[in-house]
Amino acid sequence: MDVNLRALIDPSIDVGVAGGAALLDFSDTLLGPNRVALDRARTRLAQELGLPAVAGAAAVAANFSKNDRIANGCGIPIDPAILKITKDIRADLGLNEFRSAKNTFQHFADE
Amino acid sequence: MSIYDESAFPVSDEIASVHATQLRQLGEPGTWGTGTQRIAVAAQARQAGYAAGVLEQEPGSREPEEIDFPAAVRDFIRKLAVAPKDVVKSDYEEVRASGLSDEEYVEIVGIVSRATNVDIFARGIGVPLQPLPEPQPGQPSRERPPEAIPEHAWVPTIPNGAAGGEIGEELYQGKPKPYIIRGLSLVPDELRRHVTLEYAQYLPIPRILDMEYSHHTGLTRPQVEVVAGRVSSINECFF
Repeated sequence: MDVNLRALIDPSIDVGVAGGAALLDFSDTLLGPNRVALDRARTRLAQELGLPAVAGAAAVAANFSKNDRIANGCGIPIDPAILKITKDIRADLGLNEFRSAKNTFQHFADE
Repeated sequence: MSIYDESAFPVSDEIASVHATQLRQLGEPGTWGTGTQRIAVAAQARQAGYAAGVLEQEPGSREPEEIDFPAAVRDFIRKLAVAPKDVVKSDYEEVRASGLSDEEYVEIVGIVSRATNVDIFARGIGVPLQPLPEPQPGQPSRERPPEAIPEHAWVPTIPNGAAGGEIGEELYQGKPKPYIIRGLSLVPDELRRHVTLEYAQYLPIPRILDMEYSHHTGLTRPQVEVVAGRVSSINECFF
């Protein structure tokens, strides 16, 4: 998968998939307080990737909003096997600075 | 007839059906909360969304009466609903200190997470939020899985493997699962409903390593992962 992960942190960067900027814009505005911007982003997404893509993107965004609440609400750690294979990318993207990172590092060392 | 019939964007029957079912179930007695309490939690989460400007209330829509939750519980529901990145262990500890059990806490996490999921989806496709159902009578089951023990989460969880017993075998489908699945296992119904939504809104979990597979018409798997990754970045979910 040739996704540029840095774009997930900085959406001004080309994420490397078709309709990527539209998907990022939709994701950001869906979670934000500007309804006009969301409506505009939804229209753009439909124009670039087609009508079915809107419900798909909304479903995925909502699903991971659910997962993020479960993870942060239950204070779950990343499992050690995943921690090991993500070490470089986490450091590269600044993920270790997330407040929820503490839920992992209090149990597992980042070796 | 689908609950999303007025959407200008086609919604799969699978998603519409799961959402309709889970909305109805919100009003039913759960494992630890009555229907009234469960609806009040969902309503509190929705109100927080209105106040934060990330959900829009339809003119004339009626929200259920609020329950007098302890302040720590009310604050936690609001924070989890609109600022999950700011949830820290002291929030959990304050809810517990207010008198709620781990089991009640987990059920609240499950309800807020699933209810905000349905609301965010509606907002995403540009339709009004679904009305919350009327609460149904009856008492919660209060069935706690004895297999759930302190592991690495704030709350007890059912372990992988033999220690998880028959309930673990059923919930985890015979294979070790990461904490993102096991986190809600203290309240098995919340885990089941979380996984059901996962199948419908992301993909069937057995297909997760198949990078050619996408569960959504009009989106490739990389496009799906872009949305997933960006949302989790915004919510600062380390997992």
